[in-house]
Amino acid sequence: MRDDPTLQRLLREIAAGDQSALRALYDLTAPKLFGIVLRIQRDRSLAEDVLQDVYLKVWQAAGSYAPENGRPLPWLCAIARNRAIDGVRRKSEVQGPVHEDGEDWLERLADPRSSEGALLDRDALRVCLGRLDATQAECVMLAYCEGWSREELARRHDKPVNTIKTWLHRTLASLKGCLEGAR
Amino acid sequence: MSAGPFDTDRDFRAAEYVIGTLPADERAVVEAEIRTDPVTEAYVRDWERRLAPLSLAVPEENPPPRLWGAIVQALPGPSAIARPANDNRIAALSGQVRRWRLASAGAGLIAAGLALFVAVGPRMPAPDSAGRYVAVVTSAGDLPALIVSVDTSTGTAQVRPVAAKAPDGRSLELWFIGADKTPKTLGLVGTGASRIALPAGAGSDGLIAVSVEPQGGSPTGQPTGQVVYTGKLIRD
Repeated sequence: MRDDPTLQRLLREIAAGDQSALRALYDLTAPKLFGIVLRIQRDRSLAEDVLQDVYLKVWQAAGSYAPENGRPLPWLCAIARNRAIDGVRRKSEVQGPVHEDGEDWLERLADPRSSEGALLDRDALRVCLGRLDATQAECVMLAYCEGWSREELARRHDKPVNTIKTWLHRTLASLKGCLEGAR
Repeated sequence: MSAGPFDTDRDFRAAEYVIGTLPADERAVVEAEIRTDPVTEAYVRDWERRLAPLSLAVPEENPPPRLWGAIVQALPGPSAIARPANDNRIAALSGQVRRWRLASAGAGLIAAGLALFVAVGPRMPAPDSAGRYVAVVTSAGDLPALIVSVDTSTGTAQVRPVAAKAPDGRSLELWFIGADKTPKTLGLVGTGASRIALPAGAGSDGLIAVSVEPQGGSPTGQPTGQVVYTGKLIRD
């Protein structure tokens, strides 16, 4: 089970150098982290390399996990996202072509099967994203979930990059205001 | 965080860092700041928390079965993962240090008994975390006595006394014990924070120790008095 106490125990064991704990953590979390990495990197073979790196990083960094830094699964997801984005922004790993399947991320936030998200303020995020200008909210979601750059967003909307920056600024500010107001 | 939707440009940069739209150079700057600046670290952590449900909503994908084998192959060998017996304690203390950093920067206050860390000289953001280590130097008690941040890439260390007190008429002297097991002096522990140069060849597998010495430091160049604190370097 991928519950917090299990993941926290595994991270402690990994910090003590227990390879079987890394295996157990891998079995529980690799599909989730690979899903995240693959959406951003888009190229399956490079995404596999990135995922390998992610678990090496977990092996090294497990000792620095502290419960007050947040829950363990989001902590692991952040490592995976950061590693994937680092590669595509530095262009050390060439990003694959954009997925054209048009995932509706706002819709996915409402998916009752995603029970882990429900434990974090998922509903508040969905409500707040839903209140934003739809086009601009989509920019934030495409960046966060699919690794779109400012330039890619600019081409998609046929706008200058600075306009995209302004959109992101405005959207993120509204989002923060809405989420902080809801807390 | 009540000054408005964005408290500062740093907050916006942290938000763009988290959604991933910062260009590589600005991204590297934020990464360095996360390690050295608790305010940036807190902004980034807040944005990660706000958006985390989206990350959990991404559909899962099974990696190919061979990937686990590749990970095992790439793990560092047994020598590199040997840990001291007190590693968990140090990891726990490292968590405390992070809390103190946040508390001190967030509130602008410092608890009684903790010395305020003032950076001496320019603060160098390290573009690469590989060389940065922290030792939390403790005695038997709960409070770390010193926090030593070591940057092996620049060969410097920052020493932050937290609760280290020298007995009257004595000095506390700081030592670095590297692979050759010979203590090399890093100088006396003052009352304030200081930046010191590491001995040549100091690596990441070092131990930091503090001994009680006659006023002014060890007359022999080696520890002569009781070793009151020790701590192992851990990656920052």
